[in-house]
Amino acid sequence: MNRLVENRWIESALRWLLGGMFIYAGVVKFISPQSFADSIATFRLLPPQGINLLALWLPVFEMTLAVSLVVNLAKKSALLGILLMTAVFAFALASAVARGLPVDCGCFGGHGPSVSQNWVSLGRDLLLGGVAFVLYRHALQKSLPARTTVIGPRVVASP
Amino acid sequence: MKSALSVSSEEKKGRGELSAFRWQHVIGTDLLRLGVLATACMCAALVFNQLREPPLSLTYVSKQSRLEQAVARVVDSEDKSTENIPPATATATSQVIGLPEFQQLVQSKRVVVLDARPEIFHRLGHVPGALSLSREAFEQDYARWRSVLEPSRDQLVAVYCSSASCEDSQMVADALVKLGYRHVLVFKGGWDEWTKADLPEEKQQ
Repeated sequence: MNRLVENRWIESALRWLLGGMFIYAGVVKFISPQSFADSIATFRLLPPQGINLLALWLPVFEMTLAVSLVVNLAKKSALLGILLMTAVFAFALASAVARGLPVDCGCFGGHGPSVSQNWVSLGRDLLLGGVAFVLYRHALQKSLPARTTVIGPRVVASP
Repeated sequence: MKSALSVSSEEKKGRGELSAFRWQHVIGTDLLRLGVLATACMCAALVFNQLREPPLSLTYVSKQSRLEQAVARVVDSEDKSTENIPPATATATSQVIGLPEFQQLVQSKRVVVLDARPEIFHRLGHVPGALSLSREAFEQDYARWRSVLEPSRDQLVAVYCSSASCEDSQMVADALVKLGYRHVLVFKGGWDEWTKADLPEEKQQ
């Protein structure tokens, strides 16, 4: 995977795919924040004061990160944001699986609470997180040599 | 030679520290940018919310509570307009039915079919003859279909939503029972089971 992303076209394709998916997910939630808030509530992780704020903020944040990823603007920050988001989603889904809670992921619109769907959502989330991780690591490695001042070994004359 | 080696290892260590510092610095910068972006997004989200009609309240109210509030408002409006609502009997409950029974009722047209899904899904396709009475817009939808529903609260009413895992049909059925309807059926399999059985569907023009 690391070698694959060395290829500029593959890296761009993965970036667009990830960005496209997050734009779609953001738009679906943005259109119906109440339905997304209902999905968040099924996780039973947040107090009522936090649910609607998250339902309002997350779609805007997702769309912003996804657009900046697609247009290649502040790419590293966007990838780190997506990576962190997928980690938080994975934690929430894993906790639902552990508690045997039928939740409605709400990731790409609401589909009603379901235990079996939790595994599908978790798998998809980990896959997206994996892609974000590989792309972020690649972007990070690419950014480092250009900024690092390389100090060469000092030649010391042996006595 | 020994001193040269020791200097070299120190420098290697120094380079390692510098590299670690650079990594931390780069990730720290990314996190800082992300924090600024997240704050800006929160401000934008709150502004967008104020432009919504109606804006989402900042404290979450559960689906059940929202529906109960809507039913209470419907009861209030009926009190004022007709003063003629039969009270919900203590024993009245909704009854769950399967596909064969539901299909038979739909074909015989002996039932008022209600679609509890959001209206957008109803527009895309619904059981023939079904009326949209969504859980989310219960109050508005009920007002729209009042003339069809209220003449007889003894008529058969069947409610469905998207699939067996959705709760909307049961919630809408309970709301109708509270409004005095005595024969409320819930088709649990919903739209999912109906379409999987390859049964006819209708689309709103």
